[in-house]
Amino acid sequence: MGERRSDFDEDNTRVKRIKVEQNGSSTPSKMDPAKNPYLAHWDNTDSKVSADGLSGFKRHATTAKQAQAAEDGPLNPFTAQPLSQRYMSILEKRRDLPVHAQRDEFLRLYQKSQILVFVGETGSGKTTQIPQFVLFDDLPHLNGKMVACTQPRRVAAMSVAERVANEMDVKLGEEVGYNIRFEDMTGPKTMLKYMTDGMLLREAMHDHNLTRYSTIILDEAHERTLATDILMGLLKEIVLRRPDLKLIIMSATLDATKFQKYFHEAPLLAVPGRTHPVQIFYTREPERDYIEAALRTVLHIHATEPEGDILLFLTGEEEIEDACRKINMEVDEMIREADAGPLKVYPLYGSLPPQQQQRIFQPAPPPFKEGGRPGRKCIVSTNIAETSLTIDGIVYVVDPGFSKQKVYNPRLRVESLLVSPISKASAQQRAGRAGRTRPGKCYRLYTEKAFKEELIAQTYPEILRSNLASTVLELKKLGVEDLVHFDLMDPPAPETLMRALEELNYLACLDDEGDLTALGKLASEFPLDPALAVMLISSPEFYCSNEILSLTALLSVPQIFVRPAKERKRADEMKDLFAHPNGDHLTMLNAYHAFKGDEAQENPKQWCHDHFVSYRALSQADNVRLQLKRIMEREEIELMSTSFENKKYYENIQRALVAGFFMQVAKRDGNGKTYLTVKDEQSVLLHPSTVLGQDSEWVVYNEFVLTTKNYIRTVTAVKPEWLLDIAPNYYDIDSFKKGEVKTALQRVADKVRRKELAKAGPSRRY
Amino acid sequence: MAQSDEEDDYMNMTFEDVTNTPKETSLQRRVRKQREGEERGRIKSKAELKDEEEAAREAALSKALDTSSKGFKMMAKFGFKQGDTLGKSEDARKEPIRVSVKEDRGGIGHASDKKRKFKEQMEAAAKRAKVQEETQDEYLERIRQEHKEKELTGQLRSAQKVAERLDEEADEHGRENEASANVGDPGEKDRNTVPNTRPLKSMNVLYREIVRNRAEKERDRIVRKGLTSSLPRLSAVGEEEDVAYDPTTSADIARTLAENELDEEDRELEEFNALPIAERLEKLVLYLREKYHYCFWCKYRYPDAELDGCPGVTEEDHD
Repeated sequence: MGERRSDFDEDNTRVKRIKVEQNGSSTPSKMDPAKNPYLAHWDNTDSKVSADGLSGFKRHATTAKQAQAAEDGPLNPFTAQPLSQRYMSILEKRRDLPVHAQRDEFLRLYQKSQILVFVGETGSGKTTQIPQFVLFDDLPHLNGKMVACTQPRRVAAMSVAERVANEMDVKLGEEVGYNIRFEDMTGPKTMLKYMTDGMLLREAMHDHNLTRYSTIILDEAHERTLATDILMGLLKEIVLRRPDLKLIIMSATLDATKFQKYFHEAPLLAVPGRTHPVQIFYTREPERDYIEAALRTVLHIHATEPEGDILLFLTGEEEIEDACRKINMEVDEMIREADAGPLKVYPLYGSLPPQQQQRIFQPAPPPFKEGGRPGRKCIVSTNIAETSLTIDGIVYVVDPGFSKQKVYNPRLRVESLLVSPISKASAQQRAGRAGRTRPGKCYRLYTEKAFKEELIAQTYPEILRSNLASTVLELKKLGVEDLVHFDLMDPPAPETLMRALEELNYLACLDDEGDLTALGKLASEFPLDPALAVMLISSPEFYCSNEILSLTALLSVPQIFVRPAKERKRADEMKDLFAHPNGDHLTMLNAYHAFKGDEAQENPKQWCHDHFVSYRALSQADNVRLQLKRIMEREEIELMSTSFENKKYYENIQRALVAGFFMQVAKRDGNGKTYLTVKDEQSVLLHPSTVLGQDSEWVVYNEFVLTTKNYIRTVTAVKPEWLLDIAPNYYDIDSFKKGEVKTALQRVADKVRRKELAKAGPSRRY
Repeated sequence: MAQSDEEDDYMNMTFEDVTNTPKETSLQRRVRKQREGEERGRIKSKAELKDEEEAAREAALSKALDTSSKGFKMMAKFGFKQGDTLGKSEDARKEPIRVSVKEDRGGIGHASDKKRKFKEQMEAAAKRAKVQEETQDEYLERIRQEHKEKELTGQLRSAQKVAERLDEEADEHGRENEASANVGDPGEKDRNTVPNTRPLKSMNVLYREIVRNRAEKERDRIVRKGLTSSLPRLSAVGEEEDVAYDPTTSADIARTLAENELDEEDRELEEFNALPIAERLEKLVLYLREKYHYCFWCKYRYPDAELDGCPGVTEEDHD
């Protein structure tokens, strides 16, 4: 309460101050009437001059002082509109940010050097301020260029763009916009574009020199996403071809020397974040059960520590929801029996709907009575709270030392999310979260020895943990021929590239020489995995491109079926309404078609709620479908459907699935429950969520999930004849290892041959 | 010479299958098929399945993609060779990152702690085994030492005997005033024919021990003799306490023989005996050389102090 009031007061004083400034600026007789916002309506003819708060600005030779004067208004230097009061109040806060103090230093280095490495810890204001500093010096709009600032996450790109649009007092999508996959929120006036790193990479495919940009800022480079790593490799070459292009690498961790080294000893500017010391505690002995230890620690903090919120890091949705439930139970007991203060527990993970994510920002509950034990909130989060989301008020961090990380092994051809130990850098980042508002404490649920000896220094960059098929296709499209010597900061194991090339060759996207085929070129136009793209492109051959388009969209969004812990039975019953006996892909499609039906569209939200499907995921799929449809129309890929009455309606869809996913096929092992993946011969089980019965001998799957059991998820039945027919290169029987799969395929091939001979008739037998 | 067709063509590379397995009978085949069918149809236990799953995963993970991959051929076009890395940095990866599935809720360091404890136990066990091994070595060494000592003791005894005899001979010479020395191997003479009547302590410490041992032996013999002679009396009593010989009786006998000297302390002898055998032997060898120009190793008494013809002081010199 008290805090809120002081905020209010601050706003008031700011309003007053602005008034004074405005009065002051209007009184001197020297004042150019054209610059007086109150007289702006007098002179509409020369709005450009009056708008030009940037009149004395010489590109790449400006100072912080000049920029600040322009920022002070009274007119918006970029739009010539009068600046709002909200702008002024935000401006005040912006000037408090640590980066502001080093604006001049930043400008000097930026002007002097083509490449700059900028280190700003979380809370320094780098993501919102640096691009604006650049705008005032680079003046991209005067040259018809833009400044790009990449973000690893879609949400961040959107929310930061919105924030900066507010800061600059412009409408989002005009001067400041964002561009993420399947959503372009920019316009002809856009001069600052926040975008996902993946989007910039896609743009480079058509514009190899990224000529639309005069400055490119790679933000959160320390996260080392696949796209950022590839972009760095590309930009390292582009800056040589384009001396006029400026590049800023922004990182939140101090290990920025690696970036410096990679970019030929580029100058480095570091701005300290606003952090308080954090005391770190280790356990004496390794924990037998990290979740149990985490809960114990949270309750201990609540019972004994002074005021301050708690942030607990766990690995995934299920674990988090379970932990929240348990903490709530225990706290209720503590309140009843030990007079503990109130504790509000909030889960936080990526697939949580945004409204629920927002709840973490609610203030902690007050004590039960005046002067009573403090109330607090406890956020139980995945590692999204590690860097991307900043929650003020956190004083205690509980770190069990695990996170779910993507892993890919080219030998197993499985890309999966696995619970893995975090890195030292990650642990440091987590601890830092406790020191945002005041000195904090971090409880590491492992020994100091384990920290030193078991945690790797840095998290492996995504490029070392990913299937590179998609990336290879993009790079080929980008004109990078020699992938072997492409200068990556951390090159992956050669086998990863080998496997990617091989897969693309089977998909006929690359020929045997490794050159892009026509299909490959077309596939690279789609922001999709090559298998999905190939399926979509070949779908007209199976007379079902409309359906495959929908299916592709559905496979590109989060799971559409919802199964809340409390209503599992009901949810399963609802899913059965859409179930198709031949598989999950077809079931998803049925659900989508029902969603698009008149009945559902009357009140789609209610309908989704009633039928246990995710409205968010389905709407997103709708949007993705629309974007993909545009690309298909542009590329002249025919959209068609088999009539629903035709008995081949579903079969055609199943066959089209094989065209993309023939490398993800499993055959039932004997008569048991297990399946064997073809070629790799991994023993797998159908995921319990499947609608498919146990009687399908051959299945195509969307995902191989590696857990304590191997599962294949989103599964649909196929016929082995289709495999031989649609993907003869992959199903070259001679290339198979001796075993059940080979024998079965051989039998099918023989049968097919006999049938053909019989059809051809005895006359052609010789 | 014409080669007949019947002759074995030893250049022929085809070998007839000599290990011709006996034909499977229909019954055997049926049994085999049935067994195979059962094996296939059997529902495996969860543990078995899990093991198989893991084994298959491990097998796939440990097998690197080889040069037959089409991807490899495409890379080879750009000069890639087996064992190369990608990119331009020096420390690029060669192997993909390992995939490990976490199967429990153990905290960081828990698994390795367990492993460490296990390893410690293993190491302790290994250490124990090693200790045993070491004792075995030590045992052999001890045997070697014992053997060596036995050998040295033998040499010491014979050197002492030589010295004793030479000294006695010298004494006799002195007493009988014989001018000519007896040149020759003294070992050939029977030493025991000359009874020693002098007090023990006047004997040269170098060989006093053998004299003393002899005396002790003699005393024991006499004691035993006395004991046997008194046996009938003892057996007549038949009481246990009387079975032990009477110390007073035996002591009296001993006194008559060794003049009670045997029970006295002999510091000089103790000191000498405390020396290592090799040193005692060396002392004796030198004594013999200096006093009698006798080389213990040559077993020869030289005419003068030059010991002309003797290769040296130690046994090794005489090898």
